[in-house]
Amino acid sequence: MTAKPEISVLLVDDEESYREALARRLSRRGLNVAQEADGEAALARLGAEAPDVVLLDVKMPGLDGLEVLRRIKKARPLTEVILLTGHAHLETSITGLERGAFDYLLKPVPLEELVEKIHDAWEKKSVQERKIRAVQADGVKP
Amino acid sequence: MAGLLEKLKGLLGREQEPVVEQAGLAEEFKARYLSFRQLLAANNKALELMSELEAAAGGGRVFGMSFLRSRITALGVSVFQMTDLLGRLGPGKYPALAPRLKQIQSQLETIAAPAEAGGGDELVLPLAAIDQRRAEEAGAKMANLGEMMNRLGLKVPPGFVITAAAWRLLLGGGGLEQEISRRQQAADLENAAELFTLSSQLRQLIVDTPIPPELSQTLAKAYAELAAEAGGQVRVSLRSSALGEDSAEASFAGQYSTQLNVHPEFLEQTYKEVAASFYSPQAMHYRLVRGLRDDQLAMAVGCLAMVGGVSGGVAYTVSPLDPADRRVQLTAAWGLPRVVVDGEAVGDHFVISREEPLRVVSRTVENKQSELVCHDDDGICRLELTGERATQPCLSQEQALEVARAALKLEEYYGGPQDVEWAYDRQQRLVMLQCRPLRPAEAKAAAPAPQGEPGSPEPLIHGGVTASPGAGAGPVHWVRRDSDALTFAPGAVLALPRPAPRWAALVGKAAAVVSSRGGAAGHLATVCREYGVPALFGLGPELEALEQGHEVTVDAGARAVYAGRLDELLQRQGKRPAFMNGSPVHQLLSRSLELISPLTLLDPDSNEFQPDNARTLHDITRFCHEKSVKEMFSFGKEHHFPQRSSKQLFYKVPMQWWVLNLDDGFTQEIKGKYVKLEEIACLPMLAVWEGMVAIPWAGPPAAGGRGLASVLFEATANPSLTTGVKTRYAQRNYFMVARHFMNLQSRFGFHFCAVEALAGERRRENYISFSFKGGAADAARRLGRVRFIGGIMEDQGFRVESTEDNLNARLERNEQETTLEALKAVGYLLMHTRQLDIIMDNPRAVALYQDKIRADLELVRSGQAPGQKAAQPS
Repeated sequence: MTAKPEISVLLVDDEESYREALARRLSRRGLNVAQEADGEAALARLGAEAPDVVLLDVKMPGLDGLEVLRRIKKARPLTEVILLTGHAHLETSITGLERGAFDYLLKPVPLEELVEKIHDAWEKKSVQERKIRAVQADGVKP
Repeated sequence: MAGLLEKLKGLLGREQEPVVEQAGLAEEFKARYLSFRQLLAANNKALELMSELEAAAGGGRVFGMSFLRSRITALGVSVFQMTDLLGRLGPGKYPALAPRLKQIQSQLETIAAPAEAGGGDELVLPLAAIDQRRAEEAGAKMANLGEMMNRLGLKVPPGFVITAAAWRLLLGGGGLEQEISRRQQAADLENAAELFTLSSQLRQLIVDTPIPPELSQTLAKAYAELAAEAGGQVRVSLRSSALGEDSAEASFAGQYSTQLNVHPEFLEQTYKEVAASFYSPQAMHYRLVRGLRDDQLAMAVGCLAMVGGVSGGVAYTVSPLDPADRRVQLTAAWGLPRVVVDGEAVGDHFVISREEPLRVVSRTVENKQSELVCHDDDGICRLELTGERATQPCLSQEQALEVARAALKLEEYYGGPQDVEWAYDRQQRLVMLQCRPLRPAEAKAAAPAPQGEPGSPEPLIHGGVTASPGAGAGPVHWVRRDSDALTFAPGAVLALPRPAPRWAALVGKAAAVVSSRGGAAGHLATVCREYGVPALFGLGPELEALEQGHEVTVDAGARAVYAGRLDELLQRQGKRPAFMNGSPVHQLLSRSLELISPLTLLDPDSNEFQPDNARTLHDITRFCHEKSVKEMFSFGKEHHFPQRSSKQLFYKVPMQWWVLNLDDGFTQEIKGKYVKLEEIACLPMLAVWEGMVAIPWAGPPAAGGRGLASVLFEATANPSLTTGVKTRYAQRNYFMVARHFMNLQSRFGFHFCAVEALAGERRRENYISFSFKGGAADAARRLGRVRFIGGIMEDQGFRVESTEDNLNARLERNEQETTLEALKAVGYLLMHTRQLDIIMDNPRAVALYQDKIRADLELVRSGQAPGQKAAQPS
């Protein structure tokens, strides 16, 4: 694996104490973490920024996590989204994956595992980006 | 520009085969390898979840609905990811896969879906309107009480039931139900500290929830009617009456709360407290170990006019300790019967023969220290007993017979032994408070008291009352307050000042329970009998002499506690009942597993190996794994991409082995036809290779008496020696490699074998999977070999499964170093076991080679075998 990539993560969860604590712990692991408390705010931020990975709670007041996911993938198809939820629900999880989520994790997720998942999602995004660049390079050749 | 966009679309979409050129092709290959790795990771996760579920079904652990839901959801996610990723590796090639998976998933969902709430929607039902048919609304306890009143003409307190519909209304508002399920998912209920914390949070949530106005009005109206009927501002008792409580299958004794003598001002608040006891630690633990589904249960609460009793107690229609003893047992106390129910007092004891005319055959009168009575305003209080009443029996002969007669009437009506709570009111009228089926302890051979035997130790304590028979040993753990419960370790002897029902959550984990006070009639005693945990109560102040942490053996049947562990005594005990078997949660798991774990897509070479024939999630994972490996093999070839085609391995001479580099498996880009061993950077492959060449075959001479290696490589190179082979790919021996990953497919002669391994820095993701099939020998010898290799793999720490002549072995979650060591052992076995058919019908030779292989493996794993230095790449 490449040495120490600077990975930007956006954490979206309405439960403040959980979100704050997780953001702190992820920052300690060298991740560049921003946070939002709901879907609208997250989408507004995504208008201006392009984080590598979004950690998205599924059950939130206001915009539902699955709807936020749909809009993120529409606006920023390369951004990877990991759904993080306290509710084990098979149908929701499959809908999430069908809408392009990278993974669907059930809380509580051990920190180690979550960090690895974020790295995996980032790796997928970078590979995808390199591929597009390479195709562009091939494409503009005479 | 339009062309470029098309290409981008092709890349991002999944249906179209991307048309890319050289640089793009290299990146595309990298992206494919990433997808492949993710698919393998999902495969491993799925297999782990399946084996976790199978272990749970096998009785290896206690689990609840939240365990099942979370595992089945996680499994669904992993399997879906596999099909999705396979779709990327072979776009458009497997159209039947996703629909088939959807079908299986939706069948699973139907099984695991939350239960539909039964019963009506009335929030309150008067007791006069209730019988067994309304148990779905009123709960079993109140349905029984209604039955006693309306069908048997027994006297019960007037009152009403706040129904299951009211409970659902209370929880449904404000998403409380979802919040509760979310918190439960995150908790490990087998851990006492977590259980107690979660229980307290959940009860607080419920108590803090405002009562919906509709319910509040209905309650007020029902209370006003009760007060009018009873004449004045009555106090009430609020009694839990959970759905599923007190059924014959599950006793729930004392799991829930009862509040006595409640002032109407506190009616709503107390209702919530009693309802919240649905989440008491003992109730949560009980449901967990009994495999009961929270979503199929609900909490109704009985609201009954308070009976300010003179005396009261419990009646068992047979002995709870010995079902063969059919005499009625009464335990009675002055004041409210609670002291008996809570196991606080031993109480006066009456034994009554059931044959007409009924008569009291024995009576034990206790020196009673206190009684519980109703406080004038609200609640109950304790009064010291002095003078004559302390030593007087609290029931007359006639009263004892009257209670026994009523209890027997209930037994006859319900068709089985009953456990009945009753009281005498101030007018000396017998009032029935509740009844439920009695579950006597299973008859066990009474262990003879060892003190009679020569040389047996003196008990530390002798006496008390057998509350549940049997014997158990462990370190003493005193529980006097909640904080003591948090540190209770499984296997300890639970020592209590008094057997309060709230400690029921610990009983299932205890080796035995001892208590200073209490008798056989309390709730905790019932719970002990149901769990099959030996219990000895009423040991008196002597019990205080037991020191925390000291190991003791409790022989509850012989009413003795010994210092240390008396194994001989313990061996006479039978096994505890298997709790989960047949429970709703266990049944649900079994039905789910039918759609999860059997593997029916067995043979990838057969025409049946199709998504449409997949019956289980395991089939889907098997299909995806098999096809993903094929897709990875064929890509370089299909795209005329020589750098990513396989290279022939060169080790001294060209070998009949081909190596396909997936990513970083070579030390450098290889242009030509051959790759040298020293150009291999794949750690797992090097480990396997090291194991293969470590020790020469020393068994019976191979054909022609030449060295084994030459025969091996020749045989695999000669297509005429292999049979049943259809594709070119299958005729060769392949390694697919990356630095930390290897997939090996090989036909050694007639044996097909595959090894896949990941040995990287993430311990959690490391694994080795080894599978082995077929052979030219007859079936008996093939099976013999599978057993033989399976045994050796197990010695090496692998988890082995075999069906017919298929062997699958897995080793997971080890450090990189350990994984590579085990791969050396795999390499050795690949080379040496293929010759085993020759010796399989000779048991002596088998034993001999077993010993030799074990000794060899030790050498190989530690890198000490003669061939290992030579095999090291420079």
